[in-house]
Amino acid sequence: MRKKTRRQFLIETGCCAGALVLQPMMGKAQNTTPPDMVVCKWKGDPIPEEPTREIAEKLMKKAIEAIGGLEKFVKKGDVVWIKPNMAWDRTPEQAANTNPDLLRTLIELCFNAGAKTVKVGDNTVNDATKSYVTSGISAVVKETGAELVYIDRSRFKEMGINGERVKKIPLYPEIIESDIVISVPVAKHHSATTVTLAMKNYMGVIENRRMFHQDLPTCIKDLTAYMKPKISILDAIRVLTANGPQGGNLGDVKRLNTVAISTDIVALDAFGSEILNYNPNQIGTVKKAFEAGLGQIDYKNKLKYQEIVV
Amino acid sequence: MKFKKPRSWTQWIRRFCQLLFFALFIILAWNLHFLDDENATGIYKIFFHLDPLIFLLTFLSTWAIAGLSLLCIITVIITLLLGRVFCGWFCPFGTLHNFFSWIAQLGKKKKEYQNRTSAHRVKYFILFAMLGMSLFGGHWFGIFDPFSFFYRSLATGVFPAFHVAVEESSTAIYKEDPKILGFPVAKISEPIYKQFRTHVFRMSQKTFYTEGTIITFTLLFVIGLNFVRPRFWCRYICPLGGLLGLISQKPLLRLYNDESTCSNCRQCSKECPAGAQPDQRGNWLPTECFVCWNCVTSCRSDSITFQFQILGGKKIPTGKLDYPRRTVLTAMATGTVGLLGFRIAPQSKGGQPFPATLIRPPGSRNEREFLQRCIQCGACMRVCPTNAIQPAGIEGGWEALWTPKIVPKIGYCLYGCNMCGQVCPTQAIQPLKLLDKQKTKIGLATFDKGRCIPYSYGRECLVCEEHCPLSPKAIYLVERDVTLRDGSVVKIKQPEVDPDLCIGCGFCEWSCVFQDTAAIRVTTANESRNSKNQPILVFENTYSTGTGTDSGIPY
Repeated sequence: MRKKTRRQFLIETGCCAGALVLQPMMGKAQNTTPPDMVVCKWKGDPIPEEPTREIAEKLMKKAIEAIGGLEKFVKKGDVVWIKPNMAWDRTPEQAANTNPDLLRTLIELCFNAGAKTVKVGDNTVNDATKSYVTSGISAVVKETGAELVYIDRSRFKEMGINGERVKKIPLYPEIIESDIVISVPVAKHHSATTVTLAMKNYMGVIENRRMFHQDLPTCIKDLTAYMKPKISILDAIRVLTANGPQGGNLGDVKRLNTVAISTDIVALDAFGSEILNYNPNQIGTVKKAFEAGLGQIDYKNKLKYQEIVV
Repeated sequence: MKFKKPRSWTQWIRRFCQLLFFALFIILAWNLHFLDDENATGIYKIFFHLDPLIFLLTFLSTWAIAGLSLLCIITVIITLLLGRVFCGWFCPFGTLHNFFSWIAQLGKKKKEYQNRTSAHRVKYFILFAMLGMSLFGGHWFGIFDPFSFFYRSLATGVFPAFHVAVEESSTAIYKEDPKILGFPVAKISEPIYKQFRTHVFRMSQKTFYTEGTIITFTLLFVIGLNFVRPRFWCRYICPLGGLLGLISQKPLLRLYNDESTCSNCRQCSKECPAGAQPDQRGNWLPTECFVCWNCVTSCRSDSITFQFQILGGKKIPTGKLDYPRRTVLTAMATGTVGLLGFRIAPQSKGGQPFPATLIRPPGSRNEREFLQRCIQCGACMRVCPTNAIQPAGIEGGWEALWTPKIVPKIGYCLYGCNMCGQVCPTQAIQPLKLLDKQKTKIGLATFDKGRCIPYSYGRECLVCEEHCPLSPKAIYLVERDVTLRDGSVVKIKQPEVDPDLCIGCGFCEWSCVFQDTAAIRVTTANESRNSKNQPILVFENTYSTGTGTDSGIPY
């Protein structure tokens, strides 16, 4: 990565700040580049029991709009693979799986952007037939007309990804052949990697992942480098703060009413670590990915960052 | 000269009825789904409830009435009135044999080997042996009961084989990508396969059963016997047929062979699948007859009719049951000795756990009572969403052959599921509420620290901790110094089990990175159902979620 001089940095920051200030005055006609990362928060203190449908929908729409629309990433006729967390036989309230309301809006936005097919699927831990239903995602996918894919263990194909630790791994061809893969994790605590976010979510496209745990940060970095994510979305409407990654206890769930989108997956994970009250510089996966040049930890300064309150 | 009677509509009604019940049985077995509402599972047990053999023998061995099993009175009443119509018209297993008997006789000249032989006694022998066993508090009739037999074969043999056939063939097409006239076959096979996976198959992954092969072979063997004699199983082996035969000694509906018109051609006897002697006037055997109407249809001179024996009307004589009282005693004595044979095995040492791997599904009663109820039907194996419940071999003794056990390396007990208890027709596995099931211990996990990676190889692993479904988790981590080969000391998180919390679900063992022998293994220790298997003194610690159940089911 090219290092920035102080002058350059100041100019850029000034420009950004200026643009942010001036944007409302200039209106839409102004040709400004959209931000790299958007964090969208719901106004007021979150109420834990409040239904998530309206909140998720509005946050998602605003965030996508702010980042420049999904059309930037999803081309007409594309096959989109949405990769949420849906590996566990847990309800949406337990925050071990991605919020189904958020997915509903995302699928709709994908179709609006011109996607031919939207596929939703995960290599689940609990049997897919059960966890897809318990997570509430199966119902949402059917409602929107997207395709729910049950990962077939017999169809994994060994592919070379030439990472530092991982050279060859069985990947799911249907995912790799999709035009775009959108990682939509829920922010949660994880015993092995402290937190599990967008990068760790890619563990759901591979087989033989159990041995990864002997050096998770490097393996996840290798996988992320191979997947080359264009856009990732973090669900922080409900977050799991302890007993992750599958939780189960409602006492460990915190309501944050936040959605973050970034073109930089490392930055997104850094943000996710912060909202779970961890220092991103101490999270193995984030640090490793940053060192490998996959993205920025210091998203506030190194990226074009925007925060919206809806 | 081929003779065909035009008036065979009764035959078609019977065939339709048979097909209907056969289809119903298959559909109910296929559709048994772990996503169903736990209160809506009653319909799946209906065939078992209609089986008087299951009722009688489990009642005798336990002196308790399970669920709606009194529904079998319907079958008893029908049999008292009409004879063994159950076998000829309703029994799905009988239909299967009927079909294969037909196949076996296709293109062959009908032989007259259809009359009563001493082999007919075998089914009564099995029945009375099981009865004797039940009186002394044990039974093995689940091996022979037609519904159990068929259901078990479907659940652990036929259905999984079907899944394998579809998946393997389409995968082969997908991988080889053959082309017919330049057109890739996979283009057709893939969408079909996808339909199967999303709409037909109950689980998205294949299921496997430890004893599935042998269970399937017994089914194939029994089907093959139809080539020896038509409906071999029904006429010689089936203990339910024996029981219904006993009840139908003096049925209301009787076969009447008119002496004045009968030409003694014995065609009816050739057509009879049961060996019920319709040709021998006054000696027709109501205990063997399936009331299938073959004889009536085949009779060239219309001499055979079924008539109701009206009270005070003309008496229609019948043949008698050929099973002397002395033989009854012999059979019952054999059964009792057989039970003793079961009980001298070390596995039935009073309440003591043996072997450690015989993990019963959550809600199972204590071993003795469990075996008194379990009819080896395989409904729990069919419904289990993780393929965890497997038919046991003889590790639990011959008495426990094909009873359910959990093999964690194949599948684990899903924390959010309690379906096995809901579908059990005899409540060998009690229908626990989900919250109670989540507190029910079926075993205890133990680390094999010589194999566990953080202990023996100085690396992080923690897959088991990640999978532990409890909250707080029963597996916790302790950071310790580990010296590596080069002498450097690193801090490694090492997992430990909290014995107060662990419920033995086996998710950890299933998830362990070692696929051959897991480094964390579950044994039956601590299982709630066995008070003699409690090595761990319960400490009320800060993590305990409390004990006791809400269903009022005591442990």
